Amino acid sequence: MPGSRRVSRPRVLLLTPDFPPSEGGIQLLLSRIVENTPEIEFRVLTLGQPESEAYDREFAAEVRRVGSAGGDRRRAALTLNLRSLTEARSFRPDVILSGHVVASLGAVALRRTLRVPLVQYVHADEFRVRNRLTATAVKQADATIAVSRYTRDMCLDAGADPARIHVIPPGIDLPPAPSGERDEQPTLLTVATLLFRYKGHDTMVRALPLIRAKVPGMRWVVVGDGPFRPALENAIRAYGVGDAVELRGRVSDEERDDWLDRANVFCMPSRVPAAGLGGEGFGIVYMEAAARGIPTIGGNVAGARDAVLDGETGLLVDPTDHLALAGAATELLGNPERARTMGAAGRAHAERHAWPLIAARVEALLREVAAAR
Amino acid sequence: MCGICGHTRDPEGAAARAMNGAMVHRGPDDEGVHSDAASGVSLGARRLSVIDVEHGHQPLANEDGTIWAALNGEIYNHPRLQQLLRERGHTLATGTDTEVLVHLYEEYGADLVHALEGMFAFAIWDTRTQTLLVARDRFGEKPLFYANSGDDLAFASELTALAAGADLGAELDPVAVHEYFVFGYVPGERSIVAGARQLPPGHLLTWKPGGKLEERRYWSPPAAAVSEAGESTADLVGELGRLLSNSVRSRLIADVPLGVFLSGGVDSTLIAALAARESSHPVKTFTVGYDVGDVSEAEAARATAREIGSEHHELVLKVDEIAARVPAVLRGLDQPQADQSLPAFQAIAGFARESVTVAVGGEGADELFGGYPRYRWLSRAEALGATVPASLAKPAARLLAAGLPAGRAGRLADVLEPRSAMERHIDWIAGERLAMRDTLYGPRLNGSDPLAGLAAGLDGLVAPDGLSVAGRFMLLDQLHWLPGDVLAKADRASMQVSLEVRTPYLNHELAEFAATVPPDLQTGGGGKSLLRLLLAELLPESSMKRPKTAFRVPAADWLRGPLSPILLDQVNNGHVCEEGWIDRAAAAKLLDRHIASEADGSAALWPILAFGLWLDRLRGRDAGL
Repeated sequence: MPGSRRVSRPRVLLLTPDFPPSEGGIQLLLSRIVENTPEIEFRVLTLGQPESEAYDREFAAEVRRVGSAGGDRRRAALTLNLRSLTEARSFRPDVILSGHVVASLGAVALRRTLRVPLVQYVHADEFRVRNRLTATAVKQADATIAVSRYTRDMCLDAGADPARIHVIPPGIDLPPAPSGERDEQPTLLTVATLLFRYKGHDTMVRALPLIRAKVPGMRWVVVGDGPFRPALENAIRAYGVGDAVELRGRVSDEERDDWLDRANVFCMPSRVPAAGLGGEGFGIVYMEAAARGIPTIGGNVAGARDAVLDGETGLLVDPTDHLALAGAATELLGNPERARTMGAAGRAHAERHAWPLIAARVEALLREVAAAR
Repeated sequence: MCGICGHTRDPEGAAARAMNGAMVHRGPDDEGVHSDAASGVSLGARRLSVIDVEHGHQPLANEDGTIWAALNGEIYNHPRLQQLLRERGHTLATGTDTEVLVHLYEEYGADLVHALEGMFAFAIWDTRTQTLLVARDRFGEKPLFYANSGDDLAFASELTALAAGADLGAELDPVAVHEYFVFGYVPGERSIVAGARQLPPGHLLTWKPGGKLEERRYWSPPAAAVSEAGESTADLVGELGRLLSNSVRSRLIADVPLGVFLSGGVDSTLIAALAARESSHPVKTFTVGYDVGDVSEAEAARATAREIGSEHHELVLKVDEIAARVPAVLRGLDQPQADQSLPAFQAIAGFARESVTVAVGGEGADELFGGYPRYRWLSRAEALGATVPASLAKPAARLLAAGLPAGRAGRLADVLEPRSAMERHIDWIAGERLAMRDTLYGPRLNGSDPLAGLAAGLDGLVAPDGLSVAGRFMLLDQLHWLPGDVLAKADRASMQVSLEVRTPYLNHELAEFAATVPPDLQTGGGGKSLLRLLLAELLPESSMKRPKTAFRVPAADWLRGPLSPILLDQVNNGHVCEEGWIDRAAAAKLLDRHIASEADGSAALWPILAFGLWLDRLRGRDAGL
């Protein structure tokens, strides 16, 4: 690269409102990247949380906290952005990694004033919730990490330079290889918070009587809880399928993993919200299911198209078509051999997404951007 | 559209042919009967050709002739189902929606109903398992009456047709008659005739030789859930737009000309605007107006038609047509129905039928999306009841009622009166009919279920647990009023003139969505707030000033004028008083006062007129009409 310089251990300032110990997809992703890239000197600037001191002490990089994640989000975001200006002056980073567009205002300012290159992470829902801010961030950034081809397409629609967008999916913590033993009762499993309509629980309920007609004795196990639970319960009553559904609510990680080990098919027909933006950025839960050797059914839209390889690790269907969904679920529940083959392919797919491999791709990108400075 | 029938002891098909003969109006284009001589089961169908006009003869069978079906209605997703069935290796001989039934039955058995989106009543005879399956759509758009005597089952789309093929006897069901006079329609599973029942919406009926009969519910409208999901209104309107557009699009599929009923109100305007967007030709719209009274919506509809660029047709129902038209319509009903707008609906349907075979209407929007003001008033009354002690509320209600009888103050007095929400609801629906019951009812109806009994019956349909007041009564209306009044009216009025009416709001995905929107959000802003917001997106210039309208007719003027001699004949000579259902003297007095404009007795007089005309036809009395 003309004018580039080799940086042996680049300094990266990671700006993010979301970081452990609070739970969530973005929190997990950013912490795993830092943990798996020892050759990068990270400093994390994030929001204050109760009982974060112990976590920060043990963490692989220096964590600094400002404001509070629990209070007014706007105010907290403003504090984070303002503080990033002084933090950059003291840390003198080679690259700023903005983990969420909420942190992009300060990052863009630093890029202009201190000429520190910016790498922006984009997940998907930002385009729905903060469309203009996200569009500005991806146009300004030296590089954008899109978690899926779907997210990349949204960046392009927002006017980003195609050469600066890099699709790097989220990684997973690879569990031990699955034993292959499954419950005898044909079991469909969905793991998702009942917080969003787009996750497709409504389509699942509609498909259930048709699946049951073809696979007698089957059940649908639903892991997750949230404000849509009463609506889900009413829909189940409306269809009279209560005896085929187990609503487990919010469960421990161990119990969730146990269900992933026992169920025959993972099914989450996520769609794109009617507004046309958002939905699954990638759908890491499909990959977590695949890692446990279970075939996955997803919607043929948004990030699930990267997480589920149609016909190989699972099946993709029109997520608004309960007939298609019923057909796919019936096919996999009724054909254990095919389900096993897809489960094995899913495990191999998941192995290609283990954190060390994914973090290495992020590290390579950060180094490239730092070198081009 | 069409009419279907069947009988399980009819090896030659004579009963089926007789039943077909009594419902030619439902399907003037074709008729068919299939008889399974070995089992004695016959299916019959009259057809109004709408889809695959050439090849739609019914009943029809699967590839090897082991499964037979007859369908009344439309399966809107039949193109998708045809594709799915072909992928699974089925050979389809026609392009009809009826044919998908036999193949879906092979795939799913009775659960095939869960694959269907549409309005339907159908029958399937499975010769392999010797099982007769009869099903009715989720909301009750298409009717289905049946009679079960001994080991036998007979069924038909209309009660009159059923009577032509099965011995129903001459007895009326006094409970059904009482409920008719309270609600204005015969609700639920009863029919007006003691020997017949209605299959409720969302239900399946199976029969096997030996008379084994099973009735099972497969779907009911979900109760509204109060969600704290915090979805933005824009997200909700977006989802509504997606679902309603899909529903309108699927209902525009026809191989015959199609139009839209337009009143100028929010519901029909939204449908017409979406239909105009989906259609490559100007949409045909139809409206009815009147030359008396002040309830005509013709002007509002005209303005809307201009906005969406439709080819608009307007019918003026003149007062001098009423004396001939209204009695003919009411006499022609298979069971009595007291909705005052029914003859006007029949008139606009007949008018539309001159240029189209299918018309799309706005039925169901009020019940699913919180349109009726009653929901708001009942909520307020409950809130008041919870805060104002009865010892204060009762005298306050009396004072208000005495001093300020009309308008909002009168409504406030009603709201203050301490009683249960269900009793208040029944009072609202039945109006003065309920209050006049003590004087108007004849000896045959004396001792009918009192108000508390009716309320307990409805409480059994929708328990108050966990539901807001608005959510509870929206659900009750979906279960009771919608199939009993709104949809029975739309079906019978349109079928009298062989027009098919399609209703985009009555789509189960839309109903399931509506149940996830907090009812108080729906009923806010004058009701149907989500529909209004969607309309504002589609027609931004005009929707905000759109008046709130209901389909009303100048019934009081008609009863005072052209219908008064007919009603007088009913009171003096008709079976309604002769058989002791209504007290002759009390009815005559109410009619006198109404004619003299001393009182508006329409709410009580109209049901007497409709019931009397229907009963006279049943008993063979010709009043020279």
